[in-house]
Amino acid sequence: MLLERTWSGITSLVRPPTAPALFRKADGFRHEGRYEEAADLVAQGLLQAPNSGVGHLLSAYLHVVFREMGPAKNAFRRVLALDPYHPRALFGLARIALEEGDYEGCKPFLDRALQYYPDFPEAKALQEMVATWTAPRSRAAGTAAAMPIPTERLRPPVGSRDLVLTHTDGALIFGQGNEERQRQLAHHMTQVYRIASATLARAGLGALHRAAIEGAKEMTFLRSDAGLILSVTFSHDTEVGAGLVQVGRLWTELDLKG
Amino acid sequence: MADPAPSPRPQVTRSEAAGKFKPSRAQEFREILFGLVKLDGVRGGLIVTPDGLVINSELPQRFPVEALAALAATLGRELELGSDRLERGAFRTALFSSDDGTVFVGGSPVGYLTLLGDRNVNLASVRLALRKAVDRLQGTWKPPAAGAA
Repeated sequence: MLLERTWSGITSLVRPPTAPALFRKADGFRHEGRYEEAADLVAQGLLQAPNSGVGHLLSAYLHVVFREMGPAKNAFRRVLALDPYHPRALFGLARIALEEGDYEGCKPFLDRALQYYPDFPEAKALQEMVATWTAPRSRAAGTAAAMPIPTERLRPPVGSRDLVLTHTDGALIFGQGNEERQRQLAHHMTQVYRIASATLARAGLGALHRAAIEGAKEMTFLRSDAGLILSVTFSHDTEVGAGLVQVGRLWTELDLKG
Repeated sequence: MADPAPSPRPQVTRSEAAGKFKPSRAQEFREILFGLVKLDGVRGGLIVTPDGLVINSELPQRFPVEALAALAATLGRELELGSDRLERGAFRTALFSSDDGTVFVGGSPVGYLTLLGDRNVNLASVRLALRKAVDRLQGTWKPPAAGAA
């Protein structure tokens, strides 16, 4: 009897952890930023329990952290195959659609997530943000759209590039460079403006007027008001203050009264 | 004075990340954020992963942490993707100002460091501190051999 109990104790110590235990540990690692260790545990867990929604959800999260969006999408879809209204999987797919520029595709995921889980602040924040992108133009934006814009006054500063002027709905008014570059610039600056505006609003800080974005090679400066976005790029060593002055000067040249 | 040249930013790969975490990494995240939120004019901040998980938050209660995390992760990804598509080099920092304050964002493989500043925040000094913090965050991904060299 004693031998039996001892043997049982020993085997329980060497028994491999169960899939739920592996997923719990993986989630702990994920919260500590130990993503690789978490990914190893999730892979082990999914071998044991290939139909685990928790496992596939963790797998999706980790793919996103590693910027592996294709596998992330597949993993989120596997979660939805098991639970069609899983709010986190729906939210994950919404975010990927958003970064792929598929705004119409993003909305149904958010709507579905909030249909059954209305108290989901992350999904609500994105839903409200995306709703403003397709809403009819505000009065201010409409006024700016109706105003003649003297783009001939725009003189790109020495050493600058990628000067672009758009409406906040993404419609290009003026751009430097070839057509494809202008399209990419207008799209990116509009998206940055929209998401940053939503972030400032959530923080209770009001409307976005100025921005500086630092890449390893270049600095981009933005000025915005009255439904318009103006941005220009300089070399990386440009000081923030100097760059904002330059984009402010361009704005003044347009005399938009914004 | 012009900003110093940035240090090269490592790309996140699974092999790079494997087995190279310090046990005190979570503590390091806390220290990085705590150092930044003590700066003059900074109301608070958070570190959020690209999937929107809040690793650390130092925000006063009135701020909606989950909503801000979702937006900060979305903004960080757009800045990262845009820098890449437009060949501007890896995204490092950004600031977005309104009449009432400024949102700062720092990009790293670990995630995005977001700070909320009031209207009197010093843009240059906070940005400089954020760059240092981003470098430190990126350092947590460097292989020990590179760090020791």
